Amino acid sequence: MGTDLNLQAASSPHLHAGDQVSTAMRDVTIALLPVTLVACYFFKFNVPFLIMVCVLTAMFTEVLFRRAMGKKPQLHDGSAILTGVLVALSFSAATPWWLASAATFIAVGFAKEYLGGLGWNRFNPALFGRVSVILFAPWLVYLNNEFFYWRVSFPGIDTVTQATPLTMLQMGLPLPNMGTFFIATQGGGIAESSALALILGGLYLLYKKHITWHIPVSMLATVFIGTALLGQHPVYHLLSGGLLLGAFYMATDWVTSPITKKGQIIFGVCIGIIVVVFRVLLAPTEGVAFAILIMNAFVPLIDRLTRRKKFGEEKAQLIKQTVSTGANVAVKS
Amino acid sequence: MAKTFERGMDIPHYKEQTEHLPVQELPQPTELIIPLKQHIGAPNRRLVSVGERVKAGQKIGDSDAAISAPVHTGLSGTVREIGSRITMTGQLEDCVVIDVDPEQEPASYTADDVSQLSTEEIRRRIREAGIVGMGGAGFPTHVKVNPPTTIDYLILNGCECEPFLTCDHRLMLEEAEEMIAGARILSKVLGGAKVIFGIEENKMDAIEVIKKKLAKEPGMEVVPLKVKYPQGAEKQLIYAATGRVVPLGKLPAEVNVVVQNVATVKAVWDAVKYRRPLTERIVTLTGPGAVQPGNYRVVIGTPLSHLLNCTGGIRSDVVRIVMGGPMTGFAQTTLDAPLVKGCGGVLALTSDLVRSSPEYLACVRCGKCVDHCPMGLYPNYIGMYGELGRYNLAKEWGALDCFECGICAYVCPSHRPIVDFVRHVKRA
Repeated sequence: MGTDLNLQAASSPHLHAGDQVSTAMRDVTIALLPVTLVACYFFKFNVPFLIMVCVLTAMFTEVLFRRAMGKKPQLHDGSAILTGVLVALSFSAATPWWLASAATFIAVGFAKEYLGGLGWNRFNPALFGRVSVILFAPWLVYLNNEFFYWRVSFPGIDTVTQATPLTMLQMGLPLPNMGTFFIATQGGGIAESSALALILGGLYLLYKKHITWHIPVSMLATVFIGTALLGQHPVYHLLSGGLLLGAFYMATDWVTSPITKKGQIIFGVCIGIIVVVFRVLLAPTEGVAFAILIMNAFVPLIDRLTRRKKFGEEKAQLIKQTVSTGANVAVKS
Repeated sequence: MAKTFERGMDIPHYKEQTEHLPVQELPQPTELIIPLKQHIGAPNRRLVSVGERVKAGQKIGDSDAAISAPVHTGLSGTVREIGSRITMTGQLEDCVVIDVDPEQEPASYTADDVSQLSTEEIRRRIREAGIVGMGGAGFPTHVKVNPPTTIDYLILNGCECEPFLTCDHRLMLEEAEEMIAGARILSKVLGGAKVIFGIEENKMDAIEVIKKKLAKEPGMEVVPLKVKYPQGAEKQLIYAATGRVVPLGKLPAEVNVVVQNVATVKAVWDAVKYRRPLTERIVTLTGPGAVQPGNYRVVIGTPLSHLLNCTGGIRSDVVRIVMGGPMTGFAQTTLDAPLVKGCGGVLALTSDLVRSSPEYLACVRCGKCVDHCPMGLYPNYIGMYGELGRYNLAKEWGALDCFECGICAYVCPSHRPIVDFVRHVKRA
């Protein structure tokens, strides 16, 4: 004894399980590696280039917004990088880099940091960014004209002009062989290259316990049943478009999905229903993105309505009010 | 399939270090610092004054209030000082400081025939001995065994679900006989309540020992419980052992159950049989930074520094010393606090183990705290609203029903100090 003690003042609990937000973000990024590799096989260097552009934009945007809001950047949590990767993968390989960059800027800057940063965002940032550039397309023409001479293109994108399987499905065209369709197909977004690779990544996330089966299974099952009932080919629907990407990587986003398992199933089923409506009755593309974003808005409501009983409580009370805004904590750190 | 409760979680229990080490006597300290209040309830007034000689086992503090328990000195000596001293919780409490006589005359106690004693006399002896819940809560035992309802079950809490601690485990192995005798007394006081020993399955040896001793004991049984934190929390234990659910905001007596920690019951035996006051307990000294981990019998009031001095001190890489368990105990910034009735462990923790959240992140709604909360609360919302100062909303999501087991802060990937937010809301 008598050594100079340097004891920490701290409150209980004194142990920690060791989980970190950054670990989860890293694992989701790792889970996207298989599909990225398949896409690289099809579209060559265009894929890593687009990912690089989006990731750099995401990091730059986070630093910019957090500095402007008087907060320390927290790039180490890995969420900016993941958002960048997800935005890139949701585009087709032929997308001009400035468009993907603009989507990432909106995703990280407005959908996340402006609302208070990671945890305070109501909508899935990547999807918000992706959908924004679709909705703002008329204004982005200017961007396209300005940046046209700065375009970067690598070999490997000549086949992208062909119809995606989903449009072929909707137009009644003959469909590709189910087996190849499952393992790998060219067409549509980068992340649509391989259903198999997406499922592998999803299983990895389930194994790592970062996600649970509730959202993906309820969402996919609803689409399967819904399309089958409406006389469509359910398996092609499952395997095509952004459905698998959405089910495993977007709808399961911690921040923008319900907190309880019961709520997550309701959330998944509702997304599934909206996807079916979009795909079968309305516009052919981006149904999944819209469906998830629409349901993101209902998450606080679902949380309140599915409130479980406390241990020893007679009947769960209904929570009348919920406020979640990051504005109040904007100057925390 | 062992019984258990809903939710909660597996936490590495780190008990290997001390679970096989028999209880050792700690050398006598040169001073005792005895807090006058070591229970939940009304404070005690002192019964001694500075300069006064005290005998071993003498009562030094008491109160007339119904919910209170006296305190005694375990060693003879001279009262040096009476005043505020830092205690385990970090708060200043009135303490009696005693210079201990180097030569002790052991107190002599005569054994009485317990079967001749009336219930009133038993309760009186429990009170006089200053017995309080030794699992940490510190509720006066004589009040607990005088419930307003009839009692069907007396559950003996031998879960010891807090990681690291093994004091109750050793007690169940080494003093099973006395503990069972104590349980018999309490069962009688409670009108013949059935006795259940609730023990987690990571203490199979204790389960076997007690099962064997209960073979010819009617109305007593051992219920092995799943190893899961917080299995030893009162309401969770009652549910696991009997299937009964204590209504929110109510006491176990509401469902005709009383829960007592096993060490408390052993102390009851000493009190009733020998009129011996509660002046010592077993303390587990452990953690990767402890030089001589072990289970030590210490006199109540022994300064923490004495325990560490006698056991080779602590390693230099210790960053935190905790009194109590690692999930609910108190970090010490000095070594001055005395060991008290409710303190079952002293942990020397290194930086690889401890939770610290100087720069926690916002809640990312991963839902882990919600999945594991044993009370079925929403620690994510409680923490968020607590941090924002929106206390009404935090209460709506259950802040006041939290018993601070610490699981939420333990699992939080954003390292949010959720239990601190809860305490904040409770105080607001």
